[in-house]
Amino acid sequence: MVDAALFSSALGALTPILFAALAGALCQRAGVFNISLEGTMLVGCFAGVAGSWYTGSVWLGVLIATVAGVAYSLVLAVGHVSLGGDAIVLGVAINLLAVGLTSFLIRTVFGTRGTFSDPSLQGLDAVDLPGLKDIPFVGEVLSGHSVLVYLSWLAVVALAVLLYRHPWGLRLRGVGERPDAAASLGVSVTRYRYGVILAGGALCGLAGAQLALGNVTLFSENMTAGRGWIAVVAVMLGRALPYGVLAAAVLFGLAEAFGFRLQGIGLPQQATDAAPYVVTLLALFVSSARIRRRTRERSP
Amino acid sequence: MTQQRPEPPAVELRGIVKRFPGVLANDHVDLSVAGGEIHAVMGENGAGKSTLMSILYGLSQPDAGEIALGGATVSFSSAAQAIGAGIGMVQQGFALFDTLSVTDNVVFGAEPTRRGLLDRRAARTAVAELIERHGLRLRPTDRVGDLPVGVRQQVEILKLLYRRARVLILDEPTAVLTPAETDRLFDVLRGLAADGNTILFVSHKLHEVLAVSDNVTVLRDGRVTMRSATADTDRAALAAAMTGRAVELDKIYPPGTPGDVVLATHELTIRGAGKPVLDGVSLDVRAGEVVGVAGVAGNGQTELVAAIAGLLSADSGAILLHDKEIGALSVRARRAAGIAHVPEDRAEVGSAPGAPLADNLAVGFQRRLARRGFLRPQAIRAHAAAIVERFGVRAATTSAPMRTLSGGNQQKAILGRELTHDAPVLLVEQPTRGVDIGAVVNIHQQLADYRDAGHAVLLVSAELSEIRALSDRVLVMYEGRVVATFTKAAATYEALGLAMAGGTP
Amino acid sequence: MRTVGVTLLGALVLGALLLAATGANPLEAYGAIVTGAFGPDGIQDTLAYAVPVVGMATALAIPLRAGMVNLGGEGQLVLGAISAVAVGLHVPGPFGLVVALVAGTVAGALYAAAAALCEVRLGVPLLVTTLLLSYPAMSLAAYLVRFPMRDAGSSLPQSGQLPPDVRLPAMGSVTVGLFLIVAAVAVYAVVDARTPAGFEARATGWGPRFAQYAGIDRPALTVRLLACSGGLAGLVGAVVVLGFPYRFIDGALITPQYTWIGLLAALLAAASPLGTLVAAVFFAALTSGGFAMERATQVPRELTAVLQAVLIIFLAAATGMLRKKRSPA
Repeated sequence: MVDAALFSSALGALTPILFAALAGALCQRAGVFNISLEGTMLVGCFAGVAGSWYTGSVWLGVLIATVAGVAYSLVLAVGHVSLGGDAIVLGVAINLLAVGLTSFLIRTVFGTRGTFSDPSLQGLDAVDLPGLKDIPFVGEVLSGHSVLVYLSWLAVVALAVLLYRHPWGLRLRGVGERPDAAASLGVSVTRYRYGVILAGGALCGLAGAQLALGNVTLFSENMTAGRGWIAVVAVMLGRALPYGVLAAAVLFGLAEAFGFRLQGIGLPQQATDAAPYVVTLLALFVSSARIRRRTRERSP
Repeated sequence: MTQQRPEPPAVELRGIVKRFPGVLANDHVDLSVAGGEIHAVMGENGAGKSTLMSILYGLSQPDAGEIALGGATVSFSSAAQAIGAGIGMVQQGFALFDTLSVTDNVVFGAEPTRRGLLDRRAARTAVAELIERHGLRLRPTDRVGDLPVGVRQQVEILKLLYRRARVLILDEPTAVLTPAETDRLFDVLRGLAADGNTILFVSHKLHEVLAVSDNVTVLRDGRVTMRSATADTDRAALAAAMTGRAVELDKIYPPGTPGDVVLATHELTIRGAGKPVLDGVSLDVRAGEVVGVAGVAGNGQTELVAAIAGLLSADSGAILLHDKEIGALSVRARRAAGIAHVPEDRAEVGSAPGAPLADNLAVGFQRRLARRGFLRPQAIRAHAAAIVERFGVRAATTSAPMRTLSGGNQQKAILGRELTHDAPVLLVEQPTRGVDIGAVVNIHQQLADYRDAGHAVLLVSAELSEIRALSDRVLVMYEGRVVATFTKAAATYEALGLAMAGGTP
Repeated sequence: MRTVGVTLLGALVLGALLLAATGANPLEAYGAIVTGAFGPDGIQDTLAYAVPVVGMATALAIPLRAGMVNLGGEGQLVLGAISAVAVGLHVPGPFGLVVALVAGTVAGALYAAAAALCEVRLGVPLLVTTLLLSYPAMSLAAYLVRFPMRDAGSSLPQSGQLPPDVRLPAMGSVTVGLFLIVAAVAVYAVVDARTPAGFEARATGWGPRFAQYAGIDRPALTVRLLACSGGLAGLVGAVVVLGFPYRFIDGALITPQYTWIGLLAALLAAASPLGTLVAAVFFAALTSGGFAMERATQVPRELTAVLQAVLIIFLAAATGMLRKKRSPA
């Protein structure tokens, strides 16, 4: 039951969540509570499929998905940072807008309802990493994924370097911790918050591209199916740290993959659907209990 | 009379006007400071001094008027530009990042880099050098959140020095310092001024202004009411310029007549990361007595009050009210048993700034005011009107949001609410922080009257004059312990100051 | 009031641009929305859609008043519905109807209270526990309706149909369940404005540290408010499922987005009882008008979802701007 294929499929499944969670973590560090990951990812899905379809090139599709993610995240950037609108209200509305907008567009642009797919639609190819793929077990797990999967790992490292080794990272952490202090030292809170939201939009666009062009090759209404919300939870579980968020996403991917295996031993599909959420909850209980024990020993 | 200098002033503000909705914060203010001078800017809360300094520092833009540095007119549209022009500001409440190190805090926004990434070593070296040169007492790698308040202020000054500020603005810098630390700060400032730096010292504390400044400008209601060389003026003149009337300074209230012990704590302890936050605190407060707790902020006073009120749980020790242990009771139960509390943080804890005044005053009384399970708005309004009347709270109407009242009136309202409980024990923290002199007198009188009506009052304050004015006995807290107890007569500034810094009397 | 007008206008203009871009006539489309929502046929549909949206909006407003976000409305809604059906299929007669309604309410209340206890006892934020618990609840219902409770005569994921005497009497396209929901809204309005309990919830919303200082028992309040919230959501589920088509169909409570639209109405109205009601009715009218618009003009009904979201975004931004202007620099 526990074999390389299990881990391999988990890895592919968690990539969209990882990209979105990195977006959420980056925003969180700068003090922006971004819950519009679900909607932005969905926009990325649609833009990626539409882009690949119209240009015939999957790479242009990925690029268009990224650009669409950035453009869509402007709504949150302008509405929250410039105009002071509440991040939660805007986030929920942005998610709803994405559902309505993509459903509207799938009707008007592709003339269909529900799902759009076509044999000529270019998807992301699996890439075999030479040398790596020959290593027993590990090679099977790590090789054979789309380029975006590998890109997501690089993104984790890049985010860690940015946050802790680059002046921008220091400044944006300051902006997140005490915006008034940062402003008094000449660091523009507005500019950094715009930056993280738009960068987060690009990451969500990539998440959507992987979801709609990597794992499968189609667009279906509401295909993000709550992954954006899981990304929000991953940010909380991982305390908005790049490697913490990676660990949370891996946990979630594993739980989902295990869930599919459980089906193999006779459990209904619905149990496997629910498994990742239950596992994440348990992980949160354990981690919270540990945090509470630690803080009781420190000053209140 | 202001001293005349031949060269252009290092800093000059001419005709500054700044309006906010409903208030004219700065009304054609002129200010002139020479190089190497320590210039005090005085005024009560709301007089416009913080606004003026924000304008000089580029955080805010004037509606009219000019700024000139060394004779050349400048204008700043951001703090970054002011910093670039050599102006630095240490704000009240500091602008520090607790989770970052001293080095990170100092270089923030002006980091040295190598190949695009942070050059941590260069930063540490630069900071260590500055610490060495000015004889400060901290390490570049210390985590700012772990540092005591007096040392954190040094980090703030380091920030200015690192950016080669020539004009330093300090906004109420001694609010959180012991008398000894204040003297040390003044030495640092005199040293900086001797080096040719220009210092603007914003304060409302009369004796400090007289101790350290060369010249002083007083603001009231947005206008300049006095300009003088410090040597040519005195506390009475300054106080009159700040308030517009003669003020009785240093009033000491007659002592009360203490009865039985109402509130007592035995060996109250709260553990901390290293040292305990509260270390075996034992005290008692009698009916008809004010016990003052003096000490610099951060020595356990806040935690002591929170533990008695039920907002924090103690790790060991007992809290007794009328000889009954209340340590296991909830906040609600303790209030019902007879504890009222005026907290230190007016905006976040003591009130709901966005909610109407009437609702703010009804909190704590909602069950008492209800008839047959229903809470009528008229009942809430009547209750609020009674408190407003009795305690002289000035508000347009009781449905006005709490935040539209001045600081003094908000405090009077909160105090009035808590006094209305008629509780045997009143815990009161920093009752006149951010409150103008007129309201201070009113609040002090209310507290004295409450004591004389037979209640027990535990008063925590960072203002020694307030402690001395009202207390029948004074306890001094240092590092979580009560290190000294004084009778009313023995509680002099010198003795208190020594104890507050950890020395023994 | 003027802000709402301006933002409404802005949203309409944006929608008109979108319509024009896809080749449709904006005026024709908007006209169809209005007549569709409030015309003699449309008003029935609007009411039918409004009942669950108002119910969910109020359910979510209850804890929101105290600053607590219940993101598990969908799970509580579905649990209430499936419990009601389970009871209704096995308990006979008019008595079964009452028990079904109660079962739905209790199921939702208990589930939401469980999430609240997770925050209170284990320190996991409510926003997370309610959200995470929502999905297993929906999975459970999906499972039940495909296996133990499956409709014998069909291959669709739905339960058996409820017997005729365990159904809410109909009044056009709504049922008497309408009165239950309206009563719930009225109770919320009264409790919020006129009781100590409502006062304490509002005080907690103003400031959690302020409420704690004043002696308000936040843990107990959290569990109570969430129980009421989940209970009302469960009641909404029960009411919907006890009306036509009198069975639980997997996904039928999710696709119409009752919960999210309700949440938005509650957020916009800052959880005020009357404001939430008005906003929820407005959104319901907009959505049902959209269906009519599609029938009349071939413009996809999703446009109204787009209009709704745009309107809320504009309103949120406008409210933010007002708040910023009021506080001095």
